[in-house]
Formats: sequence, structure tokens, C-alpha cells
Amino acid sequence: MNELNDVQGLVARGYGNLPSARFLLLSIDDPRWLGSVAAAVTPADQRPDGRALHVAVTSSGLRRIGLDAKTVGLFSNEFADGMTASHRSRNLGDVDDNAPEHWDWGGPGTPQVDAMLLLYAADDAGLDALEREHAGPRVLARLGTSNLDEHEPFGFRDGISQPLIEGLAKKGPPEITLRFGEFVLGYPNEYGRYTDEPLLDAHPDLGRNGSYLVFRQLRQDVRAFWRFLDEATRKPDGSSDPARRLRLAAKMVGRWPGGSPLALAPEGHDPALADANDFAYHRDDPYGARCPVGAHIRRANPRDSLDPKPGSAKSWEINRRHRILRRGREYGSGATPDEALRRDAASADDEHGLHFICLNGNIARQFEFVNNTWLNSPKFAGLYDDADPVVAPSQPYGGAFTVQSDTVRERVTDVPRFVSVKGGAYFFLPGIAALRNLAERGT
Amino acid sequence: MPHQVALTLAANVPSDKVESLKQLLESMGDGVANGSVIDFGALDGVHFARFIVLDETSDLRGEPLPAKLLYLSDLDISRERHLGELVDLGSDGIDRLFEHCDGYPEGRRRTRDERLAYLRRHRIPEQAFYVNTIGRSRRQIREESELRDRLEDFLDGADGLRTKEPSEIRRAVQEHVEGDRSLRWALKPPSGLDFGFRLRELAHAIAMPLLLLVLLPLLLLAAPIYLVLLRMHERKDHSPHDKPPPELAQELAALEDHLVQNPFTAIGFVKPGLFRRLTLIGVLMGINYVTRHVFNHGNLAGVKTIHFARWIFLDDKRRVIFASNYDGSLESYMDDFIDKIAWGLNIVFSNGFGYPRANWLIRDGARDELAFKDYLRLHQVPTRVWYSAYGRLSCANIGNNERIRAGLRGEADAEQWVRAL
Repeated sequence: MNELNDVQGLVARGYGNLPSARFLLLSIDDPRWLGSVAAAVTPADQRPDGRALHVAVTSSGLRRIGLDAKTVGLFSNEFADGMTASHRSRNLGDVDDNAPEHWDWGGPGTPQVDAMLLLYAADDAGLDALEREHAGPRVLARLGTSNLDEHEPFGFRDGISQPLIEGLAKKGPPEITLRFGEFVLGYPNEYGRYTDEPLLDAHPDLGRNGSYLVFRQLRQDVRAFWRFLDEATRKPDGSSDPARRLRLAAKMVGRWPGGSPLALAPEGHDPALADANDFAYHRDDPYGARCPVGAHIRRANPRDSLDPKPGSAKSWEINRRHRILRRGREYGSGATPDEALRRDAASADDEHGLHFICLNGNIARQFEFVNNTWLNSPKFAGLYDDADPVVAPSQPYGGAFTVQSDTVRERVTDVPRFVSVKGGAYFFLPGIAALRNLAERGT
Repeated sequence: MPHQVALTLAANVPSDKVESLKQLLESMGDGVANGSVIDFGALDGVHFARFIVLDETSDLRGEPLPAKLLYLSDLDISRERHLGELVDLGSDGIDRLFEHCDGYPEGRRRTRDERLAYLRRHRIPEQAFYVNTIGRSRRQIREESELRDRLEDFLDGADGLRTKEPSEIRRAVQEHVEGDRSLRWALKPPSGLDFGFRLRELAHAIAMPLLLLVLLPLLLLAAPIYLVLLRMHERKDHSPHDKPPPELAQELAALEDHLVQNPFTAIGFVKPGLFRRLTLIGVLMGINYVTRHVFNHGNLAGVKTIHFARWIFLDDKRRVIFASNYDGSLESYMDDFIDKIAWGLNIVFSNGFGYPRANWLIRDGARDELAFKDYLRLHQVPTRVWYSAYGRLSCANIGNNERIRAGLRGEADAEQWVRAL
């Protein structure tokens, strides 16, 4: 049985009904605070109506509150080493301008982040109240969010495709339903095994009912995105071609701004398919004539197209071992293509992006694998020089985008980078009893 | 067209020279060879190469094993010719490396012949060798990559083709190639494998099953006994789940992901006793047979991302090395192993000491995901000096380039071919 009353509720829901959210980066002065906040954490067996609160800790936070190196080492290597270990930066594409030394937070030159409070409410007043009540320790930074009505700042509907989890309320096709242990420690995962966790003699232990939370602040350069698309699709006379511009943008993302997937709606947005998630690439579009092989959503979740036997149950099975639960929130105001194109220079209005948040049981096999092997690799699915056209750092190469068709492909080269990393850390989202246990261990 | 060969050299290094040898290797690369000491790029027909140092250790019975310097390369030319080039073009580098090893000629005895004789003496055989596609030379790989790049550039400027039928598109590309002197070579097929080699391979392909057929009655009789012995051994197996120390994990990770491909080198002890040793000898013979005759064109039992791989016995078959060159990250490589050929890993590695418990030689084992990944990491050898002749090409790219060229000659359906572009 899944112990939903001990699992933090963020695993079960993203709180679409609570449009206001704020993330507080904290320094923990007193471990007892973790114990006190544990009582306020929203468990997964409750659907909150007005507000929700979650707390996650970094490995440096665990050390700060007094856990010894051996105990911290019982967590996964990725979490124990942190997001900014140098080999990891290369794996994640956090190099050059994206390197941790340039980050606003989480990098080497910035204060050590020990924990994060994730606050959700119906409005800002609700957030303020939550913050007053619970942000006891030193707040290093407040990361505000904005409600862009389920669209990300480039203007595309986001968050449509999520894996389903066994034992939770929402049911769906078995191809996309994952074992609980794929996200929560202490339960069998997609291999039918238990993911390593800190098993201690003490009960409750530290790992059970916890999940790893990956947080990355991703700035989106909306102006550069639409400008690039505009220039790449000009008419022979040099004027803009909004229809072609939109088409290329949709080819890069894999969905139309309204949400319908190109695999089902190749010619234009179909409102009836705005939430469509029941499609497969090998079955519906094996060569990418509709949704290009290198499109963002096709590589973030290749569905049935993976080797060794695309289209088979085995292909879905392999795909299920590399899924993440996305819980991110946007920030900034977003801009329509026309607004973005009208702006000539960088301004304060240009700060848009995504506070990317995902949950997983094994950071290396889930978040890092998706990021490295599927998104950032220019070699994904037999491609040559095509890193993800929307989110990948296109270096040292990988700046091409190929639009397959039934005849000669189109190729766009020198796609610049539209997304940059402003901060990030690997957190652990402990079970509620484990939070209390941590508080005791620390003191 | 040449067939590919593997070369492995191993020489003992006395304790007092290990540190300076390691420092030398450190100056030669940080995961990718920087061309100092040995300039691999200047040598003919090298696909991949690496130098590694194995630390001193003791075997499972406690007997000491000296440190070793190993050199591994994947070649288009004969070992003899390659060794000749090493001592001709890289004699200074070869001296600097191997003078750390036992018995390397000194002073006036350090002549071309003596060096060559030394290297020859230190060659060790591979038990099995996998080549992604037998017969595809480094030159062919590079030329076909150039061809593909040039054709893509041509297509970028040929918008008019988009409304044409596939057969017309192919005709237009063929005409473009015909009209360009520097590309015309591509219209001819790559030269075929040498007749003598094919004949020898054919004879081997037939002889082994025949031999098995002759031995079949005996094997059938022995099978139940073998299985009983196997289960007895498997029950006694010691399968600790040890995590690699963080320093090792970090050192290994720091050397990875510099190119499209990565090298993998792992070493482990064979479980004690004759039973495991004989099993492993038999298994590696079987692997050698299937890599030569079955999995010799782009696909190793479902895994399509390996360029070259080899299995080598060391120290009188007390240890075994697995070394490969593969595409992508180690995480994806290990996931491929588990998802696609867990049985194939188990059949080899479950004879290795400390491997996650396998049953019936092929079951379980690698399917214990985290124990398996930790086992591999724990047995990996840091590979600092590693050379790749085409570090930006994946196996999929190389295979596709080959298809593009073949299609120019009219092989394959035009519609399929246009998709390869």
C-alpha cells in the first residue's frame, strides 16, 4: 500500500487549482525548524482547497543540520554530489554562459542553499500568510511565479503529457502508467526493484516516502526565440511570414501553441486536440513528416519510438524507465510573438522563464538521462547535429534543426540558444515522518 | 576493403615506476588523447586507441599482481604494420611509455628491431572481438561523412527539389555527384573484403557448428551435469552490493562525455575454480563466433551504439577485461545493457567475482539495475588517454552515411533513400 498520508502531496498533484506559487530558498540555522514545519506539510492523501506547503532539502543542507558524511552518502550520488559537480555540469550542458559560476543562486559564488519551501495558494495574500507562518529560517531568495494560464513563456501550452502513477486517483492507459517506486522511495520501481535509499536502523528512516526534486531556473529569451523564427521564415521579398513562422515554431516544439500535437494535427491547431496525449510516434508518424524527430516533445518523451523494436510494448517499457513528473511554474509575463518582435532591446520585461521542477526516484536514470541522452544529444534517434531546438544549449555543436517530410527535408542551421540556466539544485523531498526524524537527528 | 583487427599490449610496471607512468599518461589527455607523446592521428588506419594503467593488486588468493601498462587499438591494418608504425613514427613516445615497464631495452640496445620485438612479445590475444561493421575502414567512414555533409549542403540550396518525386530527387543528387570530380568516387561501391579473408571466415563459420554437431552427443550427456554444477556454484555466489567510492566515481565521470563516443574499460577477477574458468572460456568462444558471423553489421544483439568491443583474459585467465567504444553517456550505455542484453552480460560477467547474483547463467544479474551499475563503476578503469578517429559520428550516423552512398548507385528504394538524407 502506498502510504499517501506520509508522502508530500506534490507527488500526487501540481495544484492547478492553486494558481499562486512561490519558492523560498533557505538557509537552515536550526534543524528543529524542519520538525515544526512537518506538521504543516500537505500530504498526498489530501486535496487542499486553499493552500499547500512543501519542504525539500539539499545534501549540503543535510550536512549543515549535522548528518554525517556516511549517512548523506546513503542517498544517491547525484543528490549527494549536487547539481554543480563539474562532470555533471558537462552532462547537463551547464557550461560557458550557463556554468554554475554565473548562476543567480545555487552556484559556487552564492550562499549555500539548504532547503526550499514550496508555497501554493489561491492568491498572493495566501502566499504571504504562508510565508509569515513558516519561513522561520533565513530566506536567501524568493522565487516568484506567474500564472500564464498553462502556457509557458514562448506561448505554448505546457504540462499536457505527464506519466500516471499506480495507486493514485487518476487512471489511464498502461503504457504511460508507472510504478509508484519510480517516483517515491520505498516501493518497487519500473524494474520491479527498490531504488537505493538511506535505510537506517531508526524508524522511520530517512528515505521512505521521499522523492528527489530537481529544480532549475530556466530563463527563456522570448525575444530571441521569435526573432530567430521570424528571420528564418522570411518571404523572398524580405517581409515576415507569420504563418510559416508559426509553423516552424510548432515543428520545433512538436505541438501548436494551443496544445494540439503535430503527430495528430500536422496542418494546424485543432482545438479538439488541445489536450491530446493519446498518440504514438512510430505508429502515427514514424519518419517525422508530421512531428520532426528532433522536436522538443518528441525527444522529451519518445513514446513508442525507442530501439530495439519501435512500436512494441518493449519500446514503451523502456520509455517508462525515463519519465519524470513535472511540477514547474512559469515566471515573468510571457509575450505574444508580435509583442516579442516589437521589442528592440533587452528590457526588464524580458525576464521570463520556467522554474523547472521535476520529481523522480533516480535522478541519473530519469532527469539526467532525459536531459542528456534525449534533449541535449545532437545524436538523438539517429540525428547528426540536432540538439533540442528549444531548450538545449547548442554547443559545441548541435545547432541544426531538421524538419523531415515526405520529400527532401528542410534544415535550419545555427539555431541559437533560447534557454539559459539561472540557478538550480538537487533536493530531496522527504516523507513527512522523515522530516521529523531529520529534525531529531540534527539536534 | 580491410577487415578490422584488435591489438592489445600488456607490460608489467615495477612499483617504483607506476607514479611517474601515471603522470606521463596524465600529460597525454584528460579523457581524450591530446596528441602529445603519441600522435594517434598520424598513424594509419587507427579507429580507436587507448593507454591505461592497472594498479598493483592481489588476486583472490592473495597473490600479488604487478601493475600493468595496457595499450588497446582497433585497426584497419595488420598488427605487424601498426607496430612498425608505432616504432617508426612514435619511437620517442613508445620509449617514454614503455621504459617504465619491465625489460624494455635500454641504452644502445634500444634499436628499432629491439623495440619491435619487445612490443611483439607483450602482445596478448583477445578472446573475442566485436566490430560494428566488419570491413568498414576508417577512411570509408571519414569519406562517407564528408559525402553526406556535401550532399546536405547541396540540398539546402535546392529548394526546387521539394516538389519532385523521390526518384527524380535521387536523379538530381546523382547528377550533382557525377558533376563534381571530388565526389565522383562515391558512385563506386567501397572495395569488398579480401577474398582470402572471406574464405577463411566462411570456413570458420561452417567448421564450428560442424564440430559442435560432432560433439553433440557428448554435450547432451554433459548438459545435466553441467547445469547441476552451475546451480551449485551459483548458490554459493557471493554478491555484495558495494558502491564505488565517491572519488572513483568522480574521477571516472570527469573523463567521460567529451566526444559523441566514450571508451569503457572494466576489469574483474574470474570466480575461483576450474568450473567458472572453463565456462568463461566457452562463453567467450561463443561470443567470438557470433560477433564474427552473426552480429557483424551494426547490431550487437539489439545494441546498436557500440563501435568496437573486446574481451581479454589477463594474468593466466585469473582476470578478464572488457573494453569498448560506445555512443552517448555511460548511463545510457548501462541502461541499454539492462534493457536489451542483460542475458548477454550475465552469461559473461556472472563468472566474474562480485557480480549481482545471476541464475541459470542468464537470468537476473544485470536486471538488478543499481547493483549492476555500481558493479560496473566499481570495476571500471579510468581511461585518460583515448583516441577516436571520428569523435563526432555515432554508429547510427556512420551506418546512415553508408546507406546514402549505396543509394547513389541505385540500391534501395528511392523513397527510403530520400529519408536518409
